[in-house]
Amino acid sequence: MGYIYPGRIVLFVIACWAFAGTAFGDETCNSPYISKLIKGQEDYVYVWTLGVEGLGDGFDKLITIDVDPKSKSYGKVLNTLSTGARVEAHHMGFTDDRRHIWAGGLSDNRIWVFDVATDPARPKLVRTIADLGEKSGYLGPHTYYALPGRMLVQALSNTKDKSGRTGMALYNNNGQFIASYAMPTEGGGDGYGYDLAVNPKKNALLTSSFTGHANYMRPLGDLIKDGEAMKKFGNSMALWDLKAMKPKKIFSVPGAPLEIRWSLNPKDDWAITATALTAKLWLVKQDGRGEWIAKDVGTVGDPAKTPLPVDISITQDGKGLWVNTFMDGMTRYFDLTNPEAPKQTYEKITGKQVNMVSQSWDGKRLYITSSLLANWDKGGSDNEQFLRGFAWNGKELSQKFEIDFTKEKLGRAHHMKLGSKALRAG
Amino acid sequence: MNAWRNPRNNLALALLLGLFGGLFIARALGAHRIDPFPALSFAPPPPGSYILHRIMPAPDGPVVGIDGRSRPLSQYTRGQMTLLGFIYTTCVDPEGCPLAYRVFDTLKKAIAATPALTGKVRFVTLSFDPARDTPDVMRRYAGSRAVDMSGGLRWYFLTTRSARELMPLVEGFGQDVRVTYDRSSGRARRELSHVLKVFLIDRAGDVREIYSSLFLHPQTVLNDIETLLMEESLRSSPASVTKNTR
Repeated sequence: MGYIYPGRIVLFVIACWAFAGTAFGDETCNSPYISKLIKGQEDYVYVWTLGVEGLGDGFDKLITIDVDPKSKSYGKVLNTLSTGARVEAHHMGFTDDRRHIWAGGLSDNRIWVFDVATDPARPKLVRTIADLGEKSGYLGPHTYYALPGRMLVQALSNTKDKSGRTGMALYNNNGQFIASYAMPTEGGGDGYGYDLAVNPKKNALLTSSFTGHANYMRPLGDLIKDGEAMKKFGNSMALWDLKAMKPKKIFSVPGAPLEIRWSLNPKDDWAITATALTAKLWLVKQDGRGEWIAKDVGTVGDPAKTPLPVDISITQDGKGLWVNTFMDGMTRYFDLTNPEAPKQTYEKITGKQVNMVSQSWDGKRLYITSSLLANWDKGGSDNEQFLRGFAWNGKELSQKFEIDFTKEKLGRAHHMKLGSKALRAG
Repeated sequence: MNAWRNPRNNLALALLLGLFGGLFIARALGAHRIDPFPALSFAPPPPGSYILHRIMPAPDGPVVGIDGRSRPLSQYTRGQMTLLGFIYTTCVDPEGCPLAYRVFDTLKKAIAATPALTGKVRFVTLSFDPARDTPDVMRRYAGSRAVDMSGGLRWYFLTTRSARELMPLVEGFGQDVRVTYDRSSGRARRELSHVLKVFLIDRAGDVREIYSSLFLHPQTVLNDIETLLMEESLRSSPASVTKNTR
């Protein structure tokens, strides 16, 4: 054993009472490192929108919607910022200082950086990062997770064979590449990636797993008939040592675990996820001996009917979870008072197809969009494309406004982030 | 070798065994009152078992010391490990500047108690309120910290002459700041709203870690300093030189 620094011993001695509770979260599903939370009424919803050929300019775009009920333009499009590209726009994330949104597409390697602080109603494109493939070998940036001064980007695929073998790339806030980290392929790891989420108190990074470009860019009808292709989905989650960025433990979580949400209650240290293909809720927690475990704790709808849970949104007190299922267009609420046994207490069909769900910090408003992936969305009259705003009184969801993204010639509505006038810079 | 056979460690062990309360700890640590820090609720990776990547070069530009003299910031960010944090002296947010101050104070004691770190680390506190935080104000803010050389550690308290000098540094570090007014008391109180960030800079002037309030813990910072020192040690060892020149 090597020399132990006395100073370190002194620090251990100093450490003697509970961690000071630090409020974290945002509109409940962001990185805990993001500052400037919106705890009251949000003014804007930013919608990262897939372009549709022949509809408007046909390009992916960032759309600003006015969601302040007191505003004359409530429920209307305030601004449209086109990227001039159509690359399967999917997710986005704020930088730690909430001045910028990073957004990207799954069929491409580019990442667009938008300034949302100078004029929150009218974001500006300030940078395009184009070296993800060259520097990391990864393709299809998905999750953008703020760390102090940095952005950790989870990709879904790779440039070499476009399979699901992928990893994470770390950038500084100026968009300069720092390092990459391959998803684990040993000890039960399957190499796939999807979402990531951090619990700073535990130095814990959790990752989930989906599928690669070869699958997610393929028409869903074809894909589900291809038995071999259907085997190429992730069935695992990984727990990483965040500081060391090394995987510590792999959990078997069959059926493509997607979004990961740590409880936002400072007293909790568990996370929950939903599996797309098996329609299960899984809990990740420490057992009585401090060992991290993953447990199947419930189902979403009838798994035999493959409802396809696609997004979840946790309440700020960690006591409730909204779950959207794409196939049946259902929005469900689960009571998470006992996270070991989530109990569904409400459901409502909110669209013919629904995907993302975001709630305000106070839990009184819910925003829902429609698009899953360009080639997986439904056809004909079922292909509704919208942002719908709802009020939640604890018992019933009441729709307050709708923007028809097809009628407005915008595209397919996907990921959302909330904005505020109060966060204007300067 | 058993670390506890080392006389220096025996001293530390005696300290460990003898101290059960924060009051006694504070007395043992010296004249400054050190508020106890909560324990990390995880076992951190050992120093040297992980890599701190180069995040970005620290920016440079003129700054002013408490002696009123202007010098380039690089004079305070190169040649030693540097822990740099922005503050403004009227900040009252307990999760902001005061937290950084407490961490620096605690670390200074820990570093002073660690001979291997003597002369290898410096602290820099840089104001982002040049209008109010003049060199005189910074001198009063620093108190004895600016002249206390215990453990061979210098703590520099710097400001700038103007927003024009300040902003390239603020932007270069990616430190956001904006003026807001807190009217909760009935009177408008000017605040500089910002994300608390503390920067660990290596001898070459590269930022190697950035701590926000959720990351900023003396134990974590000390481990990171040790990691960078071990990296330097490996780089300068004969075996490493041989390997690198092949």
